[in-house]
Amino acid sequence: MLKISNIGFRIRGRNLLQDINIVVRTGTFTAVMGANGAGKSTLLKILSGDIRPSAGTVSWNGQDLGSYPVGELSRKRAVLRQQYNILLPFRAREIIEMGRYPHFSGKLTTHCKNVIKEVAAYVGVEGMMERNYLTLSGGEQQRVQLARVLVQVWDAPPGEKLIMLDEPVSALDIHYQHQLMALVKTLTENSFTVIAVLHDLNLAMQYADDVLLLKKGRSVAFGDKYSVMNEEAIRTTFDVAAMIHYPAAYGYPFITVNGQINNKQTEQSDNYVDSNHFFEGKI
Amino acid sequence: MVILLLGVCIWAAGTGALAISPEAIFAMICKKIGMDTGIIFTEQQENVFWIIRLSRVAMALLIGATLAVCGAAMQGLFRNPLADPALIGISTSASATTVLMIVLGARLFSGFQSLLGQYSLNVSTFAGALLATLLVYRIAQQKGKTNVSIMLLAGIAVNALAGALTSFVTLSANDQQLRSVTFWMMGSLGGANWTNVAGISPFCIACIAGMPFLSRQLNAFSLGESDAAYLGIRVERLKNTIMILCAMGVGASVAVSGVIGFVGLVVPHIVRMIIGPEHKKLIIGSALSGAILLVLADLVSRTIAGPIEIPIGIITALGGGPFFLYLLLKEKSKSIM
Repeated sequence: MLKISNIGFRIRGRNLLQDINIVVRTGTFTAVMGANGAGKSTLLKILSGDIRPSAGTVSWNGQDLGSYPVGELSRKRAVLRQQYNILLPFRAREIIEMGRYPHFSGKLTTHCKNVIKEVAAYVGVEGMMERNYLTLSGGEQQRVQLARVLVQVWDAPPGEKLIMLDEPVSALDIHYQHQLMALVKTLTENSFTVIAVLHDLNLAMQYADDVLLLKKGRSVAFGDKYSVMNEEAIRTTFDVAAMIHYPAAYGYPFITVNGQINNKQTEQSDNYVDSNHFFEGKI
Repeated sequence: MVILLLGVCIWAAGTGALAISPEAIFAMICKKIGMDTGIIFTEQQENVFWIIRLSRVAMALLIGATLAVCGAAMQGLFRNPLADPALIGISTSASATTVLMIVLGARLFSGFQSLLGQYSLNVSTFAGALLATLLVYRIAQQKGKTNVSIMLLAGIAVNALAGALTSFVTLSANDQQLRSVTFWMMGSLGGANWTNVAGISPFCIACIAGMPFLSRQLNAFSLGESDAAYLGIRVERLKNTIMILCAMGVGASVAVSGVIGFVGLVVPHIVRMIIGPEHKKLIIGSALSGAILLVLADLVSRTIAGPIEIPIGIITALGGGPFFLYLLLKEKSKSIM
């Protein structure tokens, strides 16, 4: 489990994050959401060890993240970003093999080759292993990157595999978005712990377990998605009016956004009751 | 490739004002290690081979390999196939401090034909190269990370500054110094002898032999800096190591031959087209092809208009310039698509 206590990040007198307290349960998918500049990516950078928090601690399975040896951490924690700017014409296989770098020195071991084969089949990239990465489509590239990220932590002990995704699907079309998210969802069933920054409310509702809502560096709400993703919390976080629908045919509720609301109303919390009435009237 | 390199070396060593046949070269080498082959060669041939030709070929080989390896490593470090040691001002700064050394240091060391003099030139070019690298690096540091575009722009500024310094020092040189500075700046292996081969070889060999060990880190680095760090690579240490090795290798090369452009750019490019971007193969391949290319270029430079010698920098620039333009045009058409 990943325990985040009192995290704060301050740079040039500006607080990008303040008093974040969450516990990411092992084997779950936690989505981090919020408007642009809310501190989502900063939080993910702190969790991945990229930057150090100005305040607070992050511990992974009881050990402080900062005290992990570099090598050990790289065999347990992997990060997938939104987009990669690769200019050299590597083959897909070579990119995926890089994910195994923390595991071997010199030549690729048989075990590593097996892991790569397994993951390639799992992610569905076996067919493009020998192709030039630069000639793949955006969705294929992102799947190759996901394969690289997965081989990195694939054989870590159960409960110690941590995957972080920073807007992993923002550059993909709807088909690839769902393909990738479904893939990530099945990871949690294989004892992976997943944290992802997402923009799409419905993707989070459909695939995540827990949700953290951030606004201006502070936590608006954190917990089970059904309890967190309510109309009021979404309005507070994004300054938009949203509605949650519970259609019988779907396995999960879906969210529609009705547009921007008056800023005055959101800034004064007293007005929530009023605006709720407003929406009820509209329905 | 190794065989090709050997063949090119023998060919280059045998060609010139005084021709030496490959058999004679073979016989001379056998004689050195105490074997008699019965092939006849003259004493003059022997002297030319051992003293003039071989040292020159050895130098072309060392410098060619070093420049190509540094180019490959820099391109990996910048994650951009257009990078080159000359691009971030390493070469020009090294040459600026060398010119300074030639003009000022001549009085101190009374010429540079001793091993000590050669080392002092090496040290000054290395200092210039490292200074440039550190300066550019410091400027490009941002929140503990290197911003590559700022680094490239800083390289342009450093190039301009070093060029200005070179010109200023050249102004205050006397006629004799001016001649040697000008000729040296055009890039030439004409000054090759065993003393300066011995002078540069520790630096060049450290650079050529050290880089392949960094190839895996460079591969990961091409994903992105933070991604290499996620893979457990100590990114800052990698950057420092590459910069010091490059400053050393390029500095030593510039010290004896001046700025020989485009080898560091063109060679890794061609090698990458043939065997792919994986850095271990790329660096070793670049070292071999760089050596071959420079031995050949030097051969051309001293035979094409003989007995006049055309500075090798002109030859490589003539070949490399159009190639660079071709690469730029290719990049351009790619970004339009």
